[in-house]
This record gives sequence, C-alpha cells and structure tokens, in this order.
Amino acid sequence: MQTSSRREFLGFCLGGLAVAGAVAVAYPILGYLTPVKTNESGDRISFAATEIPPEGAKFFKFRGTTGVVIRKQGGELVALSAICTHLGCVVQWEKEKQNFLCPCHAGRFTPDGIVISGPPPKPLERLPIVVADGVVTVG
Amino acid sequence: MTPLKSIYHWLDVRLGLGELVEKHLTGYLLPRNINAWYSLGSVLLVIFGIQIATGILLLIYYVPDAEKAFKSVTYIMNDVPFGWFIRLCHAVGSNMMVAVLLLHMLSVLFMGSHKSPREMNWLTGFILFNLILGISLTGYLLPWSQLSFWATTVATNSVGAIPIVGEYLMTFLRGGILVGPPTLGRFFAVHVTFLPLAIGAFIVAHLFLLERIGVSTPPFGLGETKNNWQGDSFRYQSHPGGIPFFPNYLLQDMTSILIYLAIFLTVVFFSPYIFFPPTAFVPADPFKTPAHIKPEWYFLANYQTLKVFPNELLGLMVQGAAMTILALLPFLDRSKERNPLKRPLFLSCFAGGIILYIAMAIWGHYS
Repeated sequence: MQTSSRREFLGFCLGGLAVAGAVAVAYPILGYLTPVKTNESGDRISFAATEIPPEGAKFFKFRGTTGVVIRKQGGELVALSAICTHLGCVVQWEKEKQNFLCPCHAGRFTPDGIVISGPPPKPLERLPIVVADGVVTVG
Repeated sequence: MTPLKSIYHWLDVRLGLGELVEKHLTGYLLPRNINAWYSLGSVLLVIFGIQIATGILLLIYYVPDAEKAFKSVTYIMNDVPFGWFIRLCHAVGSNMMVAVLLLHMLSVLFMGSHKSPREMNWLTGFILFNLILGISLTGYLLPWSQLSFWATTVATNSVGAIPIVGEYLMTFLRGGILVGPPTLGRFFAVHVTFLPLAIGAFIVAHLFLLERIGVSTPPFGLGETKNNWQGDSFRYQSHPGGIPFFPNYLLQDMTSILIYLAIFLTVVFFSPYIFFPPTAFVPADPFKTPAHIKPEWYFLANYQTLKVFPNELLGLMVQGAAMTILALLPFLDRSKERNPLKRPLFLSCFAGGIILYIAMAIWGHYS
C-alpha cells in the first residue's frame, strides 16, 4: 500500500512536471503565433479631400480592415466600413448606380450604407468623419 | 475500468498494442554493458524535431526575398513575441546538431560498431552527416547578412575548382555568376523542402537498419570483444538476458536528452552569440567584402585545408579522399577485433585524426 501511494505521488510529480514543461513550450509558441499589432493603419487616418473624386469613392486601410469615403451627388462626404456585413467581402462603389455592390453574394447598399437588397443582415458600419481645411480625417 | 484503460483496451483488441509494447519496448532487450554513448542517436532525433518545429515557426515570418530577408529576420528578433527565442533555438540548434552528430560518429567508430554486418548503418549515417552539413550551409545564407553572403560566396566558389564542369556547377548552384537573389531562392527551396525530406528518409532507413540488424554490443567489460559475425546468413543480433529498452534504457535516453537540453538552453539564454560573429548583424552588401571572413566552426578545418594547399583542386581532392575513406571505413577496416585498446593502429589513427581536425580548425580560426 505504501509503495502504491509513493508511486502515485511520484506519478503526480512527473505529471505536474510534464504539464509545466508543456506550458513553458506552448506559451512562447502561442505568443509567437499571435498576430503582431502594427501602427500602419492606426486609429485615425487623414488625407486631402481632393483625393475623393466627385460622386466617387476612396478606399483605405483602417484599424486593420478597409474603410471607404464617398462623395455623394450633393457633395456630402460619408465614411463607412467597406466590409460587407454578410460574409466579410469588401464592397465596391458603383458610380453609375450610386450604390455599393458586394461582389460575393450581390448584396447592395445605399451611399449611407443601408441594405437595399441581397443577404446582408445589417447596414455598413458608419465611421466618424471630420473635414477641416480641405483635410478629411476618419476615426 | 478507468477511461484510460478502456481506451487502451479498445486499441489493444484492434491493433495488438500489448504485443507491440512487448516487442519494441519492454521485451526489446539491449546488451547488459550498454553505455550512455548509445543514447546520442535519441538526442539527435530530439534535436532534429526541434529544428523542424522551430523551422516551421520561422517560415511564418521569414521572407525569402533578397530585399526583405534581413529585415524579416530583424523583425523576428526584435518585434515578434518570443521571435528571438525561436530563431536562436534554430540557429544554436543547428550548431549543436553538428556537434552531437560528430560525437555520435566518433563513439560509433571508437566502439567498432560500424563493422560488419553494420556497414549500411554507417553509410546511411555518413550520408546523414553530409546532409546535415548541407542543410546548415544552405540555412546560413537565408538571413542575407554580410556573413551569410560572403560565407556562401566562398563555399560555392570552391566548387569552381573542379576541372571542366566546375564553372558550370558553380553558376548552377548560385543561379547566376555571382551569389545574388537567385541563390537565395535556390538555397531556400533546398533548405526547407529537399534536405529535410532527404534527412527524414535517411533517418527512417537508419532506424530500420538498427531495428533489423539489432544493437551492437559495446566492446568493453566483456572477455570476448571480437566481432563474431560469420557472414553466412542473416540473423538478428539479440541480447538474451539483457536490459529492457523500457523502462531501463529509456531512462538513460531521457537523462541524455535532458543534459543536452540543459546545455542547449544555457547557450540560448546566456551566450547565444558565440555562433554569431559581428558580420551576422550587417545586411548583405555585394560591393563590400568584410575583412577576415570565416566559415562556421565545423567548416574551419576544410577552410584551412584549402588555404594550406597551393592549388585549390589539390585541397579539394585531399578532402574528398579523406571523406571517401571515412565513408568506406567498414569495408576497409575488416579486422574482427572491436576493442580500441587492442587495435593500436586504429587508436593512433583515431586520436591523430581528431587532433589534426581540431588543430586545423584552430589554425583556420586564427589565420
């Protein structure tokens, strides 16, 4: 009986050591594999208002995804996330129809991001936009 | 029945696990006088496993493009969490692998384990040694540092000394007249695909031969130390009354592996740069050869041999001859005696060879 409990104790110790060893190996590997945060698409992005053509759109990297600013027919600027709310494709601005088309499953959105047709369940996310001295700042 | 036992029983009735365990672990008997040197093969398997694992991890961030390679390695070292650790494990591990492999080969030679019927074990091992040198050399170029660039220039240049086909071979290896971006592409492909596959295949062959022929008996602590293989028919060398692999020798394997890991991690944590001269931290510049460029420690003897001989071809031929003799040793050294103390000629050559190799390497380092 004594031998058995001693064996069990040693077994637990060995098991504990194995678990500690596995954690010591897994922790750096998980850290290594975790995507590194970069600053290239920070919290805010600024560019000249002239970069947005009349009735056209400008796409840009924003917070690790893609954003878009469009100039509506009246000249008003609207900033939206360009990620389709259906399955995450990037929507395209169709200038002649003045709306967004998601080429993946034909979802359509108004210039304000509201769903017109197709499978998207939600409107495109609105992004805060400020225009000052001819410079557009999104974020 | 506990869940673990249920799983074991489930597998046992389907695969005959008990029989496998009996045959390869508990009933796999080894010579009673087996020693710690026999565990170096297991240590090498662990090192190769670590190299594969860290190599796969490095592939995630490394960019094999001459414009970006150095930057990507710097990024791994400075910005990726634990990137320095993974990369240093890979770089230090490659040096340790060559060192342990040399020890493994020397111990095999010293104990006469390469003698018949184990010629093929020796040959596959010798080919593995060359493949490991090849994978170390090709990996050397990948960080695209001054050291990588010029060491590869010198190493590939030696091939050019071969008569008639030398120039063509050198251009073929480099993918151009000089070392450049095409060389990186070639070396990268060879380093991450061809060589690991070839090494894996030869490890399988090496282990198959070990399993099929049986473990040799060390020529120490016994009255009879002669090779008693007759050469008439195949027979597995069994060791009746020997010690079981599991748990007895596995414990020795684990001890050797842990001692190795202790040494390896000490180098990685406390002195990782013993294998990195300052030129390893400067990006490659094809217009500027750094002064006193030296190869890795395990090529220093070869480097010095090339310098000693006035003619590059002669230097290469001497090295080629030495390697050929080593490869064919079990076919040339046919005496039955295996105890080195009863083989004075062998022992003198063995000691002389090691001293010459070390002396040439030291000379190469300081020349």
